[in-house]
Amino acid sequence: MSPTDFAVLATVVGSIVLFGGAAALALGWAFRDGQFDNFEQGARSIFGSDEPIGEPTDAFPGD
Amino acid sequence: MDRGMVIFVGALLTFSSSWLGLVLYPYWQLQNEQPYAKSPGDDPYPRPLAGQALAGVRVYQANGCLYCHSQQVRSEKFGNWWEDGQMKTGADIKRGWGARRTVSRDYLYDRPTMLGTMRTGPDLANVGARYAEPWQHNHTFNPRAVNSWSVMPSFAFLYAREKVVGGQKAAKALKLGREWTVDPGYRWRPTDRQWEAILAARGTAIRQAHLAGAVARVDPDSPAGRAELLEFWLTTEEEDYQVVPTTAADALVAYLLALRKGETPLPEAKE
Amino acid sequence: MAPTTPMTEPERERSARERRAIDSSCRVPVLYFAASAVFWLLAGSALAVIASVKLHSPYFLTGSPEFTFGRVRMAHLQAVGLGWAGMAVMAAAVWLMCRLSRVGLIYPKLLVFAGTLWNVGMVLDVLGILFGDGQSVEWLDAPRYVPPFLVAGLGIVSAWTVATFRRRRERHVYVTQWYVLAAVFWLPWLYTVAVLMIFWMPATGVVQPVVNWWFGHNYLGLWMTPVAVGAAYYIIPKVIGRPIHSYYLSILGFWSLALFYSWAGMHHLIGGPLPVWLVTASVVGSMMMFIPVIAVAINHHMTMLGSFHRLRYSPALRFTVFGAITYTAVSFQGAVESLRDFSEVAHFTHYTVAHAHLGAYGFFTMIMFGLFYYMVPRLTGREWASPGLIRVHFWSSAVGITIYFVALSIAGWWQGRMLNDPNVPFANIVRYVTPFLAIRSYIAGPLMTVGHVSFAILLTANLMGWGRQRTGGPTYFVEPATGTAGGPRELAAAGR
Repeated sequence: MSPTDFAVLATVVGSIVLFGGAAALALGWAFRDGQFDNFEQGARSIFGSDEPIGEPTDAFPGD
Repeated sequence: MDRGMVIFVGALLTFSSSWLGLVLYPYWQLQNEQPYAKSPGDDPYPRPLAGQALAGVRVYQANGCLYCHSQQVRSEKFGNWWEDGQMKTGADIKRGWGARRTVSRDYLYDRPTMLGTMRTGPDLANVGARYAEPWQHNHTFNPRAVNSWSVMPSFAFLYAREKVVGGQKAAKALKLGREWTVDPGYRWRPTDRQWEAILAARGTAIRQAHLAGAVARVDPDSPAGRAELLEFWLTTEEEDYQVVPTTAADALVAYLLALRKGETPLPEAKE
Repeated sequence: MAPTTPMTEPERERSARERRAIDSSCRVPVLYFAASAVFWLLAGSALAVIASVKLHSPYFLTGSPEFTFGRVRMAHLQAVGLGWAGMAVMAAAVWLMCRLSRVGLIYPKLLVFAGTLWNVGMVLDVLGILFGDGQSVEWLDAPRYVPPFLVAGLGIVSAWTVATFRRRRERHVYVTQWYVLAAVFWLPWLYTVAVLMIFWMPATGVVQPVVNWWFGHNYLGLWMTPVAVGAAYYIIPKVIGRPIHSYYLSILGFWSLALFYSWAGMHHLIGGPLPVWLVTASVVGSMMMFIPVIAVAINHHMTMLGSFHRLRYSPALRFTVFGAITYTAVSFQGAVESLRDFSEVAHFTHYTVAHAHLGAYGFFTMIMFGLFYYMVPRLTGREWASPGLIRVHFWSSAVGITIYFVALSIAGWWQGRMLNDPNVPFANIVRYVTPFLAIRSYIAGPLMTVGHVSFAILLTANLMGWGRQRTGGPTYFVEPATGTAGGPRELAAAGR
């Protein structure tokens, strides 16, 4: 294995550990912090009393 | 996911991974590349462009040549298709676009490095080794003067058509038939009327010139003979006018002649 | 699906008033960005048709340096890539962020200033290229004096989008907001690094093309794509009145896009004089893109299920769904195209051009049209003047891009096969692709241009106040003065 190959391998493994680890930590934190509680509620946040769920809000003008 | 900070940090991490991997890492891997000299006394390759060739890079850039011409020769192993039960590869080299594949060292001094994105036209990495200066000028002036099938734009605007003074044409004047030079950028033909007038005025001279090169004499009064005379006359050079390259055309051609990336052997470019 | 919130008329009225206040706070800058974007779309279309004709008829407009193919080609990409796409994304980002954060825009004049910086930059960009200052670095052809204008304008828009987000009054951060936030953070970084490493402090040799394609591909992937996908995540549920199918999928889609899209792009350098692992890494990134694409495709499809008949009624929905379906198609194609065997044929050919247009036009541009059809009447308070012209716009754009894609894909594929076969003379390849390029020049290109002109007419009419006052459609039914006459529920019951 040449030094270049080694450097490539080290970088790849290093970044997998670094970024994978960061992602795993972030996911753990998100669960503990309750970021996923009441999750589907977020999908409803764009509707309001004037444009409630169940009402279309756009049509061809004049039709 | 109600925290802006989570999105921010996530966007930062994901993006910086590609920034590190695709940008900074190759930057670091390639930054110490040096020109190659076989033995300590030899001239190193590549060398930075200078003078006209360097100015030619600007002309090449400004006119977007990159959008039809790549500058990279791909290896003998590149490509993957079958014909007659045989796998064939390495079209670039077989087309004569370079003697070997190009490698990162070939581009050490390129600013910008114009590897290319499309091959509407042939590859130019090694074009300097393929054609000489007069061909380059004729082709740049009007590509169809050289290849009838070409769709390359004419760069006649980089040339000046001027009256010959003192009866002597400039050394740099293009040696192209009048069909290409009378109306720069286009292929010119006289109307029937004009041709009659020209024949009436200079018919004898044209016939004599034609006779000098032709195997058989033509009858100037028959339609076939007149047509042949016209074709002949169109390929002769204009007498009173000449087309000469401007500084920009000279620079561009100097750059094209300096493009010799697939020539000098490099130890890492075996194929 | 039952409404989530109990509705009383006063509450409904209050909510409508609030929404209108938010819309009117960003009216001037958002419409300014949108109108500028459409202007650059028209300019880009004209340049496109010129460039396309020149590619098979070299005597067309020959003789003038300003209209030589290479310059027009550069100017076209700048006009549509930065002028249209850039400014459309900014219009969308600002408006979506205000609406989703449920907060008005402050200091709108600052954004008008940012838009002016962009317009000045774009005029200098396009004219500069035509007059001979182009750089021949794909996507970064702008003359050297242009990037400062664009970076400054972009910086203001990004900062303002983030500032609006920080002032949000809506607790939930909706999926569209993630996409918009990430995009306005990514592009300034991407653009600055690219300009720095290619022009101001050039990296050595082949590192430049690496940076070039990292920028070129990510401009599409981390700027145009996130905002268009985010817009679809807003428009589709809003138009049909139904929350997106799965919020989990949308989160998966977002993070996998963020991680993998940024790694794609190096397959544009296949066979090039570069370390092979770079291309390999990009192929991996491209293949992983199946995850976000499938997530988005399932999500949009499941949301639409049972509401496809609404495509007949809503222009916004029709354009957006066309774009969303194309997103799936073009991303699948892109992932396959990155594979080495495939890429060895498709590289350096019109196949790549067809793919790029399917992405930038069939997906991105169509979704932006959809968003504009939804957004503009709500900002101006005027309905679109002519449904007929909207239909013309949709069909000429949709048919145009389809013909474009099919013609150039066929041409490009065989062009690539012939290029790889040394026994085929180059002249034969040039002759082979010519008829396909003529189809683009005389059928596909003009069709798309007709669509753009129709849209420009509609937008101009709307901005001049020529359309009738907006009364149709549920959003504006609740006028504070008139109450709920002709209420939305009758319409909903009638299946609209």
